Amino acid sequence: MTDVLPDQLPWWVAGPGIGLCVVAMYGVLNVKLGVSGGWLQVMNLGTGRPVTEAWRIWFNTGLVGGALLAAALGTGSAAAGYGDLGAAVGQALLLPLLVVVGIAMGYGARWAGGCTSGHGISGCSAGSPESLAATATFFSVAVAVTLLLHLLTGGAV
Amino acid sequence: MSPRAVVSIVVGAVFGFFLTASGLGDYRTIHEGLLLRDPYIYLMMAATVGTAWLGIQLLRRRGSTVLGGPLVLPRHPVRRSTVFGAALFGVAFGVGATCPGITVAMLATGGLWGAPVLAGIFGGLWLRGVTASMTRRAQ
Repeated sequence: MTDVLPDQLPWWVAGPGIGLCVVAMYGVLNVKLGVSGGWLQVMNLGTGRPVTEAWRIWFNTGLVGGALLAAALGTGSAAAGYGDLGAAVGQALLLPLLVVVGIAMGYGARWAGGCTSGHGISGCSAGSPESLAATATFFSVAVAVTLLLHLLTGGAV
Repeated sequence: MSPRAVVSIVVGAVFGFFLTASGLGDYRTIHEGLLLRDPYIYLMMAATVGTAWLGIQLLRRRGSTVLGGPLVLPRHPVRRSTVFGAALFGVAFGVGATCPGITVAMLATGGLWGAPVLAGIFGGLWLRGVTASMTRRAQ
């Protein structure tokens, strides 16, 4: 482990870097970059169902490798816990809560046809009405839920 | 390994690198953004979409892709499922302050709480497949 990277790259470095990944996937493979679709293909592979988009499995494999590289180069650790949410609910409740969060996230992403990367980044960049609507919906709902939780917990979360 | 696989793994690695190096794996980064206290996630998103939009305009002029034939960009209409699914996703995004890609950044930087979220994501993807099949059979 070395500390080459700061804890957080400036938004004007990280944002364009990710934007160029979107362009590369459209320009080379003619596909819409997205992560949840990759997990779906990984699940198909693991359960013996047909893998219809193999590139997604390779993409998510690369994602894991790139994330490990950034961590090895000193990106800030997320090992401290789960922030205010972890402190507010305690470890015993946090585990089932996060599983439920994950289930809702996976169910919602498949229902909507994409997630923050597929709709929020790739689809919006291409001007897809479906992605613009999905992104406006999940961001506004997420802000509303976060502010409501903050209010209901007296600022604890 | 095919050229498509090589491109996918390389671009995936660059994507994972920037996603993680942006600090999004730390719960606080997204949570503070959703509390409207820190503009980082919105500025980063705008820089991402702006860069990609510019690149896509250049690709449109070219019209063809390197390995995938003529460029076809997604342009789907808004369906009810889009909005309902995104709303459910938004609830989870708000509570967990993470998403399917960021769970990897969380795990890579030692945040083991990303594991139950990722396990749940697989469960949710599977469950949606089951309920969608049941709905199709009922129709």
